[in-house]
Amino acid sequence: MQHGVAAAHKGVFTAEVLSNQQIRECYWRVNLKLDAIGSRYFELAVPGQFLEIDLSGLSLPSEKNIPAKLHDIASRQIILRRPFSFSDIVVTPTQDGPCVKLEILYCVLGPATLRMMTLQSGDTLSLIGPLGNGFSIPQNLKQAILIAGGMGAPPLLHLAGYLKRHYPSVQTICFAGARSCEDLPFTLKIGNLTGLVLEEFDVLGVDSRVATDDGSAGFRGYVTDCARHWLQTNPVDPESAVIYACGPEPMLAGAARLAEDFGLPCQVSMERMMACGIGLCQSCAIETKTIAAETEYKLCCKDGPVFDSKKVVFKL
Amino acid sequence: MMHQDVDLTVDFAGVKLANPVLTASGTCGYAEELGEFMDVSALGGVVTKSITLAPRKGNPTPRIVETDAGMLNAIGLANIGLERFLSEKIPMLEKLGTAVFVNVAGQMIDDYVAVAERLAKEKAISGLELNISCPNVKQGGISFGTDPALIRDITRQVKQVCGGKPLIVKLTPTVTDICATARAAVESGADALSLVNTFTAMVIDIESRRPVLANRTGGLSGPAIKPIAVYLVNRVYNEVARPAGVPILGGGGIRNGTDAVEFMIAGATAVTIGTANFVQPDCAVAVIEGIRSYCLRKGLRTMKELTGSLR
Repeated sequence: MQHGVAAAHKGVFTAEVLSNQQIRECYWRVNLKLDAIGSRYFELAVPGQFLEIDLSGLSLPSEKNIPAKLHDIASRQIILRRPFSFSDIVVTPTQDGPCVKLEILYCVLGPATLRMMTLQSGDTLSLIGPLGNGFSIPQNLKQAILIAGGMGAPPLLHLAGYLKRHYPSVQTICFAGARSCEDLPFTLKIGNLTGLVLEEFDVLGVDSRVATDDGSAGFRGYVTDCARHWLQTNPVDPESAVIYACGPEPMLAGAARLAEDFGLPCQVSMERMMACGIGLCQSCAIETKTIAAETEYKLCCKDGPVFDSKKVVFKL
Repeated sequence: MMHQDVDLTVDFAGVKLANPVLTASGTCGYAEELGEFMDVSALGGVVTKSITLAPRKGNPTPRIVETDAGMLNAIGLANIGLERFLSEKIPMLEKLGTAVFVNVAGQMIDDYVAVAERLAKEKAISGLELNISCPNVKQGGISFGTDPALIRDITRQVKQVCGGKPLIVKLTPTVTDICATARAAVESGADALSLVNTFTAMVIDIESRRPVLANRTGGLSGPAIKPIAVYLVNRVYNEVARPAGVPILGGGGIRNGTDAVEFMIAGATAVTIGTANFVQPDCAVAVIEGIRSYCLRKGLRTMKELTGSLR
């Protein structure tokens, strides 16, 4: 497997909010239009990379729109940027160079995402990106098996669309899991033959399956077990198939075990608390295995966030 | 009226700086990371992350957590160690075009001495900053920084091997009397004082009833600590630094020119930008411009007119 694709250029720039919509219970989708500088940075961005947004200047939603469980932390003054993956990028060539629009899915979880709810069309934001190394796509890739857990789904939705556009011969299937039906950041619909599928992947022409821990939708159990069942009945060629996973760390560890059992390469997108996202603060350490059977810390922001699952010592 | 520009240069313990703004240790990597976002040569200088004799992996994660107007970190002095720093980073630092101060850390006095002695031989390095105030390592670090007798010992021994390069001693604010530790450093040969390092602090996850940081405690930085840092700079300036003629490198929560000017009025000869680099990687450039425009507005022509000008 080749190494991740490094960003050619990155920097600080501004983006304009085009729309900001609630899509489900606590899930929102914001669409941004990048300025000329940002558009040049993002023209070649790949799925799995991320960006940092300064949300410190935003105000809180009105009292009645603050969920009860976030009431106490709502007033915390934030200072650090927040890292986000993106679920799609659209590059439009213009006379003055590329114009990039990107889509971010977010879950309202704390003081920063709470403030994001107030974003309106025409607002501007300061962004840094694209950051980190995204998913790598081997030349001979024929089959991509995507495993998404909860809010880990957005970069895999991006990857599914990216593969459709740039590698149309690659067969892609996405397994999306969550604790419960309402924790899935997607719209469910009845597929033609296969039971529940995800609308967002279906419109791309990408096959999908749903798993919930509580059985409230699709397969009852872990998403990695759902993928395991599928692999048991749908043999894939380890030479030309790759598992791409993004989600909570125990799920990524499960994807790594699954990959090992079926002899498949596996790329996992990791997550850590980050202060900067650009290699300055050294806080986002990921323990990785070295050749000498020892371990060392790599940085999630610069060396990742996508890692070869065989290299990672997962925190369980 | 003639428009008189401001002379931003400062003499910092014998090192001529283009302006009084530096990036703080541990917040600008080995300086090359910051170079991706700004022209580092525009800075007064950089203070690299801590270098130790042997490489250090650092602490397990989580290593940071955000707090009200601040953050806690417990990185644990993760660094590539002296040998790799010399072979991999010095060639890049030579070409940086700004003053480079290397932060030195260790577990025992001998470690500090060995690292300082070797680094002092490098032409690319303008001076050393002695880290005796890291709250996140069990040995060395803050245990040196809270005991005036140990500060005297380590400062004297390290100063002997600095080969004429200025030695800055970085003080912890987590002491009863910062003037006692400042005095111990200055009386033992420190050419400058750097303050403040972070404040030892804790954040608890009430669901699990565990500290959020794997290290349990971390160092608080950011705007939350600024008024305390300004106060401590002013105290040390009045009671130790000014009488001894030793400059202060002041910092703690600086985000803009106004913040920096406040520290300089309190007594700092130069200032460091720390946590703000994480949010705005080119923050230091804006701080330099902010100081310049303040001086223009107030009719100040040199940085000497600003430092310690508290009424």
